[in-house]
Amino acid sequence: MSLQEFWDYLVLGVMLGSLYAVIAIGYTLVYGVLQLINFAHSEVFMLGAYGSLIVLQLVNPGDTPSALASIGFVALAMAGSALFGGVTAYGLEKVAYRPLRRRGAPRLIFLITAIGASFFLYNLAGKLFGRDPMTLPEMYENRNVFSLFGAGVNITQLLQFVTAVVMMIGLDLLVTKTKLGKGIRAVAQDAEVASLMGVDIDRVISRTFIIGGVLGGVAGFLFANLNQVSYTMGFIPGITAFAAAVVGGIGNIRGAMAGGVLIGVVETMTVPLLGDEWRSVSAMVVLILVLMFRPMGILGKQVGRAA
Amino acid sequence: MLNKTIVKLAIPLAVGALALTACSSDSGGGGDTLKIAFQGPLSGDNVALGENMQNGVKLAIDQANAKGDLGVKLEYVAADDQGLPDKATAAAQKVIDDESIVAVVGPAFSGPTNTSSPLYTEAGMVTVSPSATNPTLTDPKNGFKSLLRGVPNDNQQGAAMATYYAKKLKAKKVYLIDDKTDYGTGLAGVAEKGLKDAGIQVVRKAVPQKTPDYSATAKDVVNSKADALIYAGYYQDAAPFAKKLKDAGYKGAAISGDGTNDAKFIELAGDASEGWFLTCPCTDATVEAGTKKFTADYQKAFNRAPGTYSAEAYDIANMIIEQIRAKKGDVEREALRDALAKATYKGLTKSFSFDENGEFKGTDVYLYQVKGGKIGYLGNVNQLAG
Repeated sequence: MSLQEFWDYLVLGVMLGSLYAVIAIGYTLVYGVLQLINFAHSEVFMLGAYGSLIVLQLVNPGDTPSALASIGFVALAMAGSALFGGVTAYGLEKVAYRPLRRRGAPRLIFLITAIGASFFLYNLAGKLFGRDPMTLPEMYENRNVFSLFGAGVNITQLLQFVTAVVMMIGLDLLVTKTKLGKGIRAVAQDAEVASLMGVDIDRVISRTFIIGGVLGGVAGFLFANLNQVSYTMGFIPGITAFAAAVVGGIGNIRGAMAGGVLIGVVETMTVPLLGDEWRSVSAMVVLILVLMFRPMGILGKQVGRAA
Repeated sequence: MLNKTIVKLAIPLAVGALALTACSSDSGGGGDTLKIAFQGPLSGDNVALGENMQNGVKLAIDQANAKGDLGVKLEYVAADDQGLPDKATAAAQKVIDDESIVAVVGPAFSGPTNTSSPLYTEAGMVTVSPSATNPTLTDPKNGFKSLLRGVPNDNQQGAAMATYYAKKLKAKKVYLIDDKTDYGTGLAGVAEKGLKDAGIQVVRKAVPQKTPDYSATAKDVVNSKADALIYAGYYQDAAPFAKKLKDAGYKGAAISGDGTNDAKFIELAGDASEGWFLTCPCTDATVEAGTKKFTADYQKAFNRAPGTYSAEAYDIANMIIEQIRAKKGDVEREALRDALAKATYKGLTKSFSFDENGEFKGTDVYLYQVKGGKIGYLGNVNQLAG
């Protein structure tokens, strides 16, 4: 691989990784507050993509709209995906997880419920929206806008990267600076004590789900813009992002970002070196290697807490 | 004690089972209704290809019923395998268990054909595939006695791609991708051999279906400095790949096979599909003179134009119906299989007959190209390559 090719693939890898990072945050947030792997998060992601598709079909951009209109269409699509993602995640928490929590169900039951909800949602989506893949209508004319280390970056990639970074910074600020963020951290640290201190746990948990759902939904839109929309699109990115969350240290938001980018870069670099068929393999090898040396993930805290 | 319980349980079970078999043999066979099934993707990611064929079969059955010269009533049965090998056995078993089904059009895809053919062979149920093109399916070693192939296999299609690149486009270096399915690897294997024999340099890569991001692969194609590309796979992956190729600035020729030859490819890939060559052992029903009436009937019945393999599925269904007509509806599965294996049928698209392994006799492959948002028909590929 020449140096130029290295930069090409690195740029592509970081772009893809930033998307994995946004999805990974959804897993990590929920894990942080509930110690639950929300396997239905990949369906939140998929439904977010459908949300943007539905909005775009309603407003119908037609043939390559003007620059200003393009921004409007992208914003509308993004809003649609955020809405779908947020509502799905909220509903999921309300219908699938809250009743279990009320009854103090064991963790395994949550996990199985999550998998069940995932199956239910993607089959429902297949039934509702059809099982044929679809593409988002063209919102802008895709061309290279600038080059980074000699690697051309086009509008789709720029959009994908900038949105991901903005969302990650926003989330980071939200968690560290706001009252809701404090609540999330408190519940994550010790839910029982947090509730004794007057934190409304149910509210914090459902808002956490909504935030994760909005991020996941928007990531769904960005992914659909990169590839296409189908009811099975959630599975592979979902599992990869889950691995990214674990690599970064599950429960740790910045860890999820780091893990996402790392996995994205490794996957992309695999393509020229070993070939496409190895990309998932190499991502999982990274997961195993990281866990061998740091079982808590790159930025994770020591596993297992008191009590 | 234990024995007693077993006996207690076993008696009603045995009685029940007997009653059930009695029932089913009453209702099946010798009735006034015979059924013809179609097995293929009727849900799942490649549903468009399945529906094309399903409609062809339905049309043939409806027309035969309307004529009313069969002595029986024909019915259509859908067997959905989603185009997936692991779903195909259940679909096949469902067909086999329905005793009034006498023949199957399909399975549509190579992978499902491979997994369901042993079941059909055991049941003595004839399957005539309009579209499964993996060359190994008719290998006598498999012993797929029930499988007849109504289409030239990928030895022809892969060779046609290679010939076209070598003779017409004078390609120097070809980037060859398969999607890791039975169909894709089979087609790519033949194409690779053909290209190498013609002295063309080949970069062979595998890109599994449902890869979430084709950007890196597209970059790899551009970096390889290949002047031509072959994608051996289905439209639902070819489409995002074509888009990424365009984004990456790939300027060379691109060719794909019958798995991509569907209007859906253009719908999904948009402008990026422009200029893609598509081969197919199928003719274009909307262009060929012999299929004009068929096209009109199809349009009337389903409110859309026939797609890839619609006319072939129609022909095969009619070939089966012709046998039923000859026997005045008194048909048994194995006899029908033997009769079809020896039969010759002049269909709208081509003449159907099979060698002793059930392989299609004939080698015609046709070339199409995406132009102006439509799949344009260019003609017989070997004549085009000259």
